[in-house]
Amino acid sequence: MSKYLDLELLEIHNLLKNGKITPTDLVLEAFERVEEKKELNCFVTLDKEGALQRAKELEKEEIKGITYGIPIAIKDNIITKNLRTTASSKMLENFIPIYDADVVRKVKEAQMIVIGKTNMDEFAMGSSTQTSYFGPTKNPWNQNLVPGGSSGGSATVVSSRIVPLALGTDTGGSIRQPSSFCGIVGLKPTYGRVSRYGVIAFASSLDQVGPMTRTVYENAVVLNSICGKSDLDLTSVETKEDFTRLIGKDIHGMKLAIPKFYISDAIDSEIRENLQKVVSFLEKQGCTISYVDIDYIEQAVTLYQIIAMGEASSNLARYDGIRYGYRYENPKDMNDLYVKSRRFGFGDEVKRRIMVGSYLLSGENATTYYNKALEIRNEMKNSFQNVFREYDLIIGPTATTKAYSLGKDLDDAVKSFMDDILTIPVNMAGLPGMNLPIGFSNDHLPIGMQIIGNHFEEAKIYQLASFIEKELHLNLNPNEGDTNV
Amino acid sequence: MSNYMETIGTEVHVELKTNTKIFSSSKNGYGMMANSLTNVVDLGYPGTLPTLNKEVLNTAIRACHVLHCNIRKKMHFDRKNYFYPDNSKNYQITQATTPIGYDGYVEIEADGKKKKIEIEEIHIEEDTCKSAHRGSVTLLDFNRAGVPLIEIVTKPCIENSTEAKLYLEKLKELLFYADISDCKMEEGSMRCDANVSLRKKIEDPLGVKCEIKNIGSISNVKLAIEKEIERQSKILDDGETLVEQTRRFDDKLKDTVLMRVKETKNDYRYFPEPDIPYVVLTDAEIEKALESLPMLPEERRQRYLERNVSEVNISKIIANRPLSDFLNEFLDTSIDFSTATNLLLGDISFYLNKNEVTIKDTKLTNSKFIDLVNKLSNRTLTSKNIKDILDTILESEKEIDEIMKEKGISNITDTSVLESVVKKVIEDNPESVSDYKSGKDRAVKYLMGQIMKETKGSANPKMVNEILMQELNDNENSR
Amino acid sequence: MIDKLSEEEVLHTAELARIEISKEELSSYQIKLKKLLDDVDKIKEIKLPNSDDVNENEKLIAPWSRDCVLRSDQEGGMLDPKEVLLNVPKKSGNYIEVPVVINE
Repeated sequence: MSKYLDLELLEIHNLLKNGKITPTDLVLEAFERVEEKKELNCFVTLDKEGALQRAKELEKEEIKGITYGIPIAIKDNIITKNLRTTASSKMLENFIPIYDADVVRKVKEAQMIVIGKTNMDEFAMGSSTQTSYFGPTKNPWNQNLVPGGSSGGSATVVSSRIVPLALGTDTGGSIRQPSSFCGIVGLKPTYGRVSRYGVIAFASSLDQVGPMTRTVYENAVVLNSICGKSDLDLTSVETKEDFTRLIGKDIHGMKLAIPKFYISDAIDSEIRENLQKVVSFLEKQGCTISYVDIDYIEQAVTLYQIIAMGEASSNLARYDGIRYGYRYENPKDMNDLYVKSRRFGFGDEVKRRIMVGSYLLSGENATTYYNKALEIRNEMKNSFQNVFREYDLIIGPTATTKAYSLGKDLDDAVKSFMDDILTIPVNMAGLPGMNLPIGFSNDHLPIGMQIIGNHFEEAKIYQLASFIEKELHLNLNPNEGDTNV
Repeated sequence: MSNYMETIGTEVHVELKTNTKIFSSSKNGYGMMANSLTNVVDLGYPGTLPTLNKEVLNTAIRACHVLHCNIRKKMHFDRKNYFYPDNSKNYQITQATTPIGYDGYVEIEADGKKKKIEIEEIHIEEDTCKSAHRGSVTLLDFNRAGVPLIEIVTKPCIENSTEAKLYLEKLKELLFYADISDCKMEEGSMRCDANVSLRKKIEDPLGVKCEIKNIGSISNVKLAIEKEIERQSKILDDGETLVEQTRRFDDKLKDTVLMRVKETKNDYRYFPEPDIPYVVLTDAEIEKALESLPMLPEERRQRYLERNVSEVNISKIIANRPLSDFLNEFLDTSIDFSTATNLLLGDISFYLNKNEVTIKDTKLTNSKFIDLVNKLSNRTLTSKNIKDILDTILESEKEIDEIMKEKGISNITDTSVLESVVKKVIEDNPESVSDYKSGKDRAVKYLMGQIMKETKGSANPKMVNEILMQELNDNENSR
Repeated sequence: MIDKLSEEEVLHTAELARIEISKEELSSYQIKLKKLLDDVDKIKEIKLPNSDDVNENEKLIAPWSRDCVLRSDQEGGMLDPKEVLLNVPKKSGNYIEVPVVINE
């Protein structure tokens, strides 16, 4: 069996450029790997026929760049024309979109080949990919564990080396936390950096699409392809830059901040130890590390409950069985059509969040809680920006734990957000944040750190991340056993 | 006469005259095949997002201006959350907290007295889709979904149904003239809700209010308010208490009927629309939006009055926007406006109506119109001539002189020439002159005929008549 | 402290959300939503430094402060009614069909 897809992107590119292999070879290899890893349940929908057809077309096209012919997997809440898009919900089980998301259009323009749609928590609501209508995805490092979520499918396909690249979405940590559980590089860009048009909305003021890849460099390459303003998303912003430009540059003199909230005892000791090793190394490289306070950061989860659930309850109102999606058969009347389509079309976690959001916006609650939450959010954002006046980057752990067992009790309103306690503040402030693998636990599960930048300073994140990546030189391929431990 | 004081407020929804919808680039159109004017945004498909049409803001700015409202410089949109099949996202994007316009007024004249009807606010929002009820099902057509609307809300300051009617008529005229909306109530591009409440005296707090929804014409608004006052008065007279309710006007019954009793306050769960950033208007942008504002009725009235057009004709021509717009093209010329207005409202309107065309569809150029009006004023053409040649004027490229030549019209308008002809005819017909003196009016007709014969019909009859009468009377006095 | 919401409050919320809930869900929501409410209630106590100045124009509605870029009023592509109906569960001619909606 060929192993081209284990090679680094640049190496694959050279083989393609020199005509040693074709995009078709890569697509066929990816689908062999899909078969091999079937038990991980990382895909909701595959498109072998479409991918092969696209590969054949590409073979007649001029090579435009490094992403030419590379297979990519797309999270299933990102709309793909003529390819079923379900958001892992029964509600959209048979939904065939008639349009492409902006990011999908960009991925295709950059000559990547979409091979399928990855499993996720239903409507991106969850942190373990267990709320999917199509069953849970399994962690490639240990199949009894969760891959994290909600972009668990995307994290798994990259980690297990089915494809080198994937797109995920991140509302409160949904790219970074599964990247940490699976040992890959995942970036949530600055809010507005990537168009949200065609991304099934969970919480509009927090959602952002980002790349999930094996390496820092490959991550920056994908971000180069998908970023930019779209006329269809008023919240997107025009930026033109090469995100790889600072990779390999010296980090001497970089000023780094660690929020005190990020070194609490609530965080798994192995994670803290691994992070400490990195901190010591960075100090040796001439970085300064300081501990800072961020106002209201301890309130972030509460604010998230109010703002994200409020927005979600409104964003998910459109699933009513009328224009598309699941419709309850033979309703008594119009109201019955609504309440039964939504009762049977949505899973428990989604319904719970819609209920929470509806409740927190109803009657007086909107003024008591929602408006207050917006104000505190603003203060927290300002506090982050004050830190960035003095420091280049903020660092800390990504998650409080490593990957945990499948089937862990989900039915706890607050506890299920505790997975995201370190990632949510970044979304609330609209900042870019990355998970970078920095080591393994004693039971050989990946551990990640989080690097947070100021608005639109992703390039600086890539600079620091690539430096650490090179120094640690971890073997992050779960298929290769314990060879590098 | 009722024993109660009436308090009336109105909420008027007006569809804006833009090319495209408010939040998507679909066509803003009417009367097309069902579901043919939509895209994925209008249908509320997953992942779709709103964009904001610049022309909607410009149009709303014009509305604020003509209704004397303050214009908000920084505003956002809000989501009004409610489930209804005509609402594709199950929330409506509106301006609940930062309406674009506030604190304005419309001036009306009731019983010779001027009154300002105060406007609370003007806000921008999106229209819903159209539903048609067929037995046990409702059919949805999303062509109207996302058509831009402004809602104009008055303060509860209208005191009777006549004021309400006058306000709505004035509002309609202003919005129509400012190119804000077609204001066609029969097509739903202007829709009116009225809130009515009663109280005993002015010191009392406002009474329980009832809302009458979607009334189809201005005269029905008046009727609906009167019927509602009647109904509420009776209940109060009987010593019963009113309950807040929503009613509608039934065209066949000519009365309001109950839609629903408001038990609990609607819970719309408003929150700021996160998909649309703050909209900021600069003074320059506002000025630019107002540049395209056409002349409003009030100014037209004033200008026409200065040009000696009769009050009756002023009202008539302002009621006919295309003719008034046409007439305005001659404000800088010296043509006689009274003649021009008579011509437009008379023979030209008759022609346009008969042929179902607009004035812009005819071959009437501005220079031809000036020529025509001048020829009528200086009596080169008679109104009888006009009836003969107007069709040709409006349908051919030919100049008027050319048409007159073809038709053999050449009117003698030189007074001295006419006077000598008249004198000659009087001298030639002394018996007719004495018939006239003995009171036989028929003699005038005979003399006129002789003069026309002498001039081969090219004399202006009106002028001839004037000269003849003067000569006859002089003749008499000189005796 | 009351440890759960009333049935009416939960049913009202379910009605707003248009989700039918079972008896078991009703009782579990009475407790869950109350716990949540107690949790978010903490933010009421937070005194913000500038909170007196906050008006409608300074709300943070997205995590940046760029002004809206407006679209020019030019017609773009539209769907063929056939495409509109492609994903519609119940249709009638060119229309989308729902059970009759009375009143309004």
